[in-house]
Amino acid sequence: MDSGGDFLFDVSPPRWLERFRAQFSSIHPYAAYCRYLGRTPETVTDWREIPAVPASAFKTHDLSAARPGTEVAIFETSGTSVSRPGRVRLGSTAAYEASLLRSFEQHLLPDGARLATVVFGPRRMEAPRSSLWFMVDRVTEAHARTTLYLVRSGEPKWTEADAVLERAEARGEPLLLLGTTLFFMAYFEHLGRGGRTFTLPPGSRAMDTGGAKGTTVEFAREEVEAAFAHRLGIAQSHLVNEYGMAELGSQFYDDNLLAHHEGRPRRGGKAIPPWLRTRVLHPETLEEQPDGERGILVHYDLANVDIPLAVQTEDIGCRVDDRLFLEGRLLGAEARGCSLPFETFLAESGGAS
Amino acid sequence: MPHEPPRAPQVNRPETHPERRPLDAFYLPPALAAGAETTLQSFGAPPDPIEIRLPVVTAEAIARWIDQLRAAREKHLAKRTTAATVRTLNRVVERFLDPRSKQRTEAIAALSRAGSFSAPMLAQALDDAFQPLARGGLARWLGTELGSTQALDRPVKGPGGARRRAHGPEWMLQIYAGNVPTVPVLPLLSALLLRSALFAKTGAQEPLFAPHLARAIAEIDPDLGACMAIVWWKGGQSELDRVALDRAPAVLAFGGDPAVASIAQIARRDAVVVLQGPKLSVGYIGATALRRGAIRALAARAAHDVALYDQQGCLSPHAYYVERGGMVAPIAFAEALGSALEDASRRLPRRAPSADAASSVQMSRAQAALEAATGRITGVVESKRGTEWTVISEGSARFEPGPRHRVVRVHAVADVEEFARAVAGSERYIEAIAVEERGARRERLIARLSELGVPRITTVGSLQRPTPLGTHGGVPRLLPFVRWTTIESGSAVKPRRAAPKRGAPKRSAPKRSSPNRKPPNRKPPKRRA
Repeated sequence: MDSGGDFLFDVSPPRWLERFRAQFSSIHPYAAYCRYLGRTPETVTDWREIPAVPASAFKTHDLSAARPGTEVAIFETSGTSVSRPGRVRLGSTAAYEASLLRSFEQHLLPDGARLATVVFGPRRMEAPRSSLWFMVDRVTEAHARTTLYLVRSGEPKWTEADAVLERAEARGEPLLLLGTTLFFMAYFEHLGRGGRTFTLPPGSRAMDTGGAKGTTVEFAREEVEAAFAHRLGIAQSHLVNEYGMAELGSQFYDDNLLAHHEGRPRRGGKAIPPWLRTRVLHPETLEEQPDGERGILVHYDLANVDIPLAVQTEDIGCRVDDRLFLEGRLLGAEARGCSLPFETFLAESGGAS
Repeated sequence: MPHEPPRAPQVNRPETHPERRPLDAFYLPPALAAGAETTLQSFGAPPDPIEIRLPVVTAEAIARWIDQLRAAREKHLAKRTTAATVRTLNRVVERFLDPRSKQRTEAIAALSRAGSFSAPMLAQALDDAFQPLARGGLARWLGTELGSTQALDRPVKGPGGARRRAHGPEWMLQIYAGNVPTVPVLPLLSALLLRSALFAKTGAQEPLFAPHLARAIAEIDPDLGACMAIVWWKGGQSELDRVALDRAPAVLAFGGDPAVASIAQIARRDAVVVLQGPKLSVGYIGATALRRGAIRALAARAAHDVALYDQQGCLSPHAYYVERGGMVAPIAFAEALGSALEDASRRLPRRAPSADAASSVQMSRAQAALEAATGRITGVVESKRGTEWTVISEGSARFEPGPRHRVVRVHAVADVEEFARAVAGSERYIEAIAVEERGARRERLIARLSELGVPRITTVGSLQRPTPLGTHGGVPRLLPFVRWTTIESGSAVKPRRAAPKRGAPKRSAPKRSSPNRKPPNRKPPKRRA
């Protein structure tokens, strides 16, 4: 099987079927599932027919081609009080890293900037099972001039955040801020208590993502954008929302900064990278929906090498050309994407009736 | 061209549009409505949302309404006889059961336009909610809980012979959930029966039925109507919640875990608070009930419980635990249940689920297929079209809520102990168990299941029609809110006669008292009917 990294950007049609064949022979529960559905390498002739595993299956089955003990990374999806977390075991992160770096560079660093970086979150070693902090670790190693992590031993260091932002403001040094939406909003609440605001130097930018596992807190996008503008002086053009899930090697980004850089109007939705294809299925019939029609999102991701490339999510959205429009739950996506059966039940249930 | 997708779930457009005037999603008696500002809002899902009228709810308005309700209660309800209230409520119950009444037809029309359920389902919901209250049901309910229908009117003989009198709270705050529209029926009536004014907040998904019921009561009896107000405000507006909770001497709230936890935190320390959190139900079918000739009827009853309210309620079964060793195997029961759910989809049609809900069903189907492929479960049967119904068969017991919307698991089990082990630690999430078994085995089974402490054990097919004489979540419906005055009749300890001290003033000896002695100048209490 290819390691993916170098070959990721060859997106010719046979690549999907090749990957399917390789995974059919190396991921045994997946092969059993394909046989059960009657869709095997002998019968599948189009990438659309490749069986997609439900995202929930990572909780119940070992869906990895990596031999146990040989994996270089294990990511966990959120667990609950009654269900164990899903596990994504990777024997190689080459394709994953190639994908994440390419997308990040394109959407956060289109100007090739090398910036002092502040991570509103922990170092990877403090959260070794998180795909988000793995991604941040890779990105900062590749592109950050300096990196400060604001969460240490599980504690947010707000005073340090204040100091580093103040210094950047005073020196006119632009910053790259990375973190979860929830964490940024918590910091803004802290700033609000002191009535404090910053105006970060031009070129400063932020990536926020719904990475706070298990949380059901959601914010309206306008509220988040307004808070970044008011508290940090980061305009919408320099705020980029990312959407990812542990079960996918690739991520999806807003167009804000790229559009600003290219001097064109912003495109809606999030970019679907060329090595990922998304099908939108009618929620009732599972028939493929035309562009612009909403439905269940199923992703086919060439960055998934050791785990099945086709993943059925619980997310609802639509696709228009190479843009993905996600509905609701965006900020809780990581929690939602892998299903929280019992806790979702507890939180959403109308109560004893 | 890029565009933002539609945000709200789609529903089937109904064939006909009855009328388009906005529906009042609140009830305020005339005195409170006088100064209330209202707004029109779109409610329900595109492409066919309806307009509802809502009052503008502010902290100041809530405080004022509560004061006005308390005054109205003092004037109209505090000294009213229970019989007078029961008379009115009996008429209300009759109207909701009368297929030609305006109250029933309007309720079904409005809820089927706005809510999540079809008209046949709503008709069934009204029958299930009101039939147990008809023909003396209200009086039986009062009598069962309070020992007498007159316990609120005057002292009556209680357990052990002592006389006592019941008092309801001055007013109650009730917070409803939106999953099943008729859930507010018993709570709302319980407040009036306890002579309490009622200030209620409806669930966001279903703000129509509780106000409709209050209006029906007010039409018959404006005095009772003056003592109720039912409105909705957006969840998470803690300042509004706080104004009501800061004042409420009694709170009854339904909701998800985070909602009830927050109510518990904010409520007054001295308030009586009853919280009904998320629950679900299950079924247990013993081997002797699995007879060839009976399986279709049994499956039909099980399917009725699953289909009603599309498993949104706490009385909805998410799983049946079916014993091996009967004449019919658990897998055959699962197939019969599938056929019965197909029938139920015509008799009790569902409304098209939201895309999110359908996605959860599809996820659980795909997961079940994967588990079947890898030998973890026995198989899946599902509706030919759409996500109408799904039956997942498993070879052993486990406990996990399904995604609702008529997805039900059938677990083959060896015996009741396997079931008990599977639910161990989760018993508190089970509201009811529907049991099917015959003869002496049934009694033994029920005795074992009752050890689990689950609030209700009933028969398959009766899950959705709880008797008001039972409890909700194991808690009686009236008693938690009642304060008692107990009248003792002088069974005082006879003081020991001490030798009079020299020089002490002379005292008359205390009279002997008998516990049964009647006061000489009072009539004996009437026996209750």
